[in-house]
Amino acid sequence: MSSGPVLDIRDLRIALPEGSDRPFALEGLNLTVNPGEIVCLVGESGSGKSLTAGAVMRLLPEPHVQVAGGAIAFENQNLLDKTEAEMRKIRGNRISMIFQEPMTALNPQKTVGWQIDEVLGLHMNAPRSERRAHAIEMLDRVHIPDPASAYNAYPHQISGGQRQRVMIAMALSLSPRLIIADEPTTALDVTTQLQILKLIRELQEEDGAGVLFITHDFGVVAEIADHVVVLRNGVMVETGPASQVLNDPKHPYTQALISSVPALTPPPAKAVTQAPVVLKGTGLKKTFAASGGFLSGKREAVVAVRDLTFQLHKGETLGVVGESGSGKTTVSRIVTRLLEADSGAVELNDTDLLACSPRELRAMRKHIQMVFQDPMASLNPRKRVVDLIAQGPIVHGENRETARARARDLLELVELSPAAADRFPHEFSGGQRQRIGIARALALEPKVIVADEPVSALDVSVQAQVLTLLADLRERMQLSLLFVTHDLRVAAQLCDRIIVMQKGEIVESGLTAEVFADPQHPYTRNLLSSIPGRHWTPPTFKTAPVTEGAA
Amino acid sequence: MTLVDADLRPPEPSRPVVFWRRYRRNRAALLGLFLFAIVVFMALTAGLVDPDDPLRRAGVPLTAPFVDWATPLGTDQLGRDILSGIFYGARISLLVGVVATLISIAIGVVIGALAGYFGGWVDDVLMRITEAFQTIPNFVLLLALVAILGSKIEWITLAIGIVSWTAPARMVRAEFMSLRGREFVDAARNLGVSNTAIIFREILPNALPPIVVYASVIMALSILLESALAFLGLGDPNYASWGNMIGQGRAVLRTAWYCAAIPGVAIVLTVLSFSLLGEGLNDALNPRQKQR
Repeated sequence: MSSGPVLDIRDLRIALPEGSDRPFALEGLNLTVNPGEIVCLVGESGSGKSLTAGAVMRLLPEPHVQVAGGAIAFENQNLLDKTEAEMRKIRGNRISMIFQEPMTALNPQKTVGWQIDEVLGLHMNAPRSERRAHAIEMLDRVHIPDPASAYNAYPHQISGGQRQRVMIAMALSLSPRLIIADEPTTALDVTTQLQILKLIRELQEEDGAGVLFITHDFGVVAEIADHVVVLRNGVMVETGPASQVLNDPKHPYTQALISSVPALTPPPAKAVTQAPVVLKGTGLKKTFAASGGFLSGKREAVVAVRDLTFQLHKGETLGVVGESGSGKTTVSRIVTRLLEADSGAVELNDTDLLACSPRELRAMRKHIQMVFQDPMASLNPRKRVVDLIAQGPIVHGENRETARARARDLLELVELSPAAADRFPHEFSGGQRQRIGIARALALEPKVIVADEPVSALDVSVQAQVLTLLADLRERMQLSLLFVTHDLRVAAQLCDRIIVMQKGEIVESGLTAEVFADPQHPYTRNLLSSIPGRHWTPPTFKTAPVTEGAA
Repeated sequence: MTLVDADLRPPEPSRPVVFWRRYRRNRAALLGLFLFAIVVFMALTAGLVDPDDPLRRAGVPLTAPFVDWATPLGTDQLGRDILSGIFYGARISLLVGVVATLISIAIGVVIGALAGYFGGWVDDVLMRITEAFQTIPNFVLLLALVAILGSKIEWITLAIGIVSWTAPARMVRAEFMSLRGREFVDAARNLGVSNTAIIFREILPNALPPIVVYASVIMALSILLESALAFLGLGDPNYASWGNMIGQGRAVLRTAWYCAAIPGVAIVLTVLSFSLLGEGLNDALNPRQKQR
């Protein structure tokens, strides 16, 4: 083991192709990772943090984007001087990477086991049976239930959280010296996240590996970081030991980011339980049929939701929280009948939505609207914004011109400029697209809005803005929200009552403040104690939170 | 630092402008566009070049090109002017190409969209029908249809459309299968949009680029099919068509090669123009495929 730093980046500059919004993706980054140290690189999307990882791995999309200056020393050897063949020996073996998007980082054509075995086969000289045993052991170490079954599964057959565990198992399987983790826990639930963070800690203590941890989440930073580097538009704005940056940030940008982190204190309980019930679900069940390859191992049928009953009062926000696979997204799809439930009833206006004929259902849909998770995928890329928003009212018989005029008003309501009306969705940033999604849902003046993880794809500062907007609209328009989220901080901010789901069942429900203060069920306790950075209270600043949007 | 996320980016240039910029990058595609323009020009000006019937006797039979300026490209064995045959033939080729393509794409889109969107038994039934069509070789089916319908140009065009819808149907089905799972389709369903509107207004515009590109291939193929029919003497004898001219020129190929060669070159260039056009459209409509 060499004594110096594992990774030492000096004055790194990465050039962007001509015609980009700025000449350098990264300018003059200095960063050191010592053995056994976790360095967090924090920044919002577009800050250049992922490109840093790409530069260390020498996986930049050259020649469009390339290193323009500086040095990257890995165990005192400059990586920029290495040949491609030398890099191949280092990658995966000495430096390994955990990617942001587990679905695209895994090959959908091959089983999980095959893919782990591919890495092991390249760098480990052992017979197949031994490699298989090691792979299953690694899957067990990242807490995948039934590792032998997961070994035979294809990436699409396991949940997002489990896919990321597979990625981590793959990255850790050869005990690398440096682990680059690019937003590795962003797609995971809190309990998994905590386990993964602990796992990364554990490995470090065993092997003394250095970790370069890229994240946008200050909760995670508070949980894991020894040292923090804050990036903004490719420029390092602040660096220092974790406790100092978190509790006493000097730069206004860091202060703005930290004040955007939702506080864990729920709002005071409102007396909404007396209000009439607008949406009622009774005995909902949904099972996804078993699937399995002809030659590969079998996977069992999955019960997504079993016997779910809930009530949503007028003007109330009901949070549905749970881990991935708890069935919370299935709930949102059943309630809006985008997915057919096996049994049960969803009563809206005293009409059972699940018993409606297709024609009745189409008419009923104007009372229950949805805000989707992915603001890119949920807007038809070929339609102008005004048409996207006006579409619902037009379908339900509104005059075209009135609907368009109203769509323009709605844009103002969601704080977008009227000039947005004639643009196409790809011209907007993620937060702006989500605002369009909200405007579309509001256009029909629905009784209930179902929001499926509406802010989880957004940057913290944008997330804070969208949440404020939602809370504001809810007060003004007396909206009833069914709010599905995995993020307990977000739930604490917005929800009056929450129901906690585990494996398709409600384990606890009640007023958010009460559940957060005194959780009854062990699962809820576990969830709450897994929130990243729960021991850290974000400091408050005198300056108003300001944020950077697209220029 | 006071900018909020709600501020907009500067507007992008309009779609046709972007489209033309991307298309322009491909030189071969520009050549294709140029050739296509020439074919269209010939079809439009055929009446000006030769106001009379192109099938009439215009000079001494088997005059070589560039000998008599009344018939610049020479005459065939019946003394018909080859130049005016080429110009009038452009009309037939374009007519067959465009109309047959529209027919085949229309059938293909409807069948592929229904199969891909609904899946299940609808998909099974429609795909078995498609496969039944695919098992019969295109040209054999075309010969059979022409034998039944007769060799009027309208029937020939219809028959070509009918034999070439299977490939677009399969392609549209694949596009629909991948697009129907996207969230914007759920969003439209959630607004109460009917299935018909989802298929044609939501999904189809997104599935259109590959269809447009493939249409150019079908256009080239239909022109070839028509020429092949005419070559076998099954074309419409009342119209000057490039295939007809090659078919008749075949008899005098050794003594007067130009009777078959000149329309042959016309077919080659027209078909080439369509495939270059298709390639350019592909670059312009699916820019991501080529950037890497």
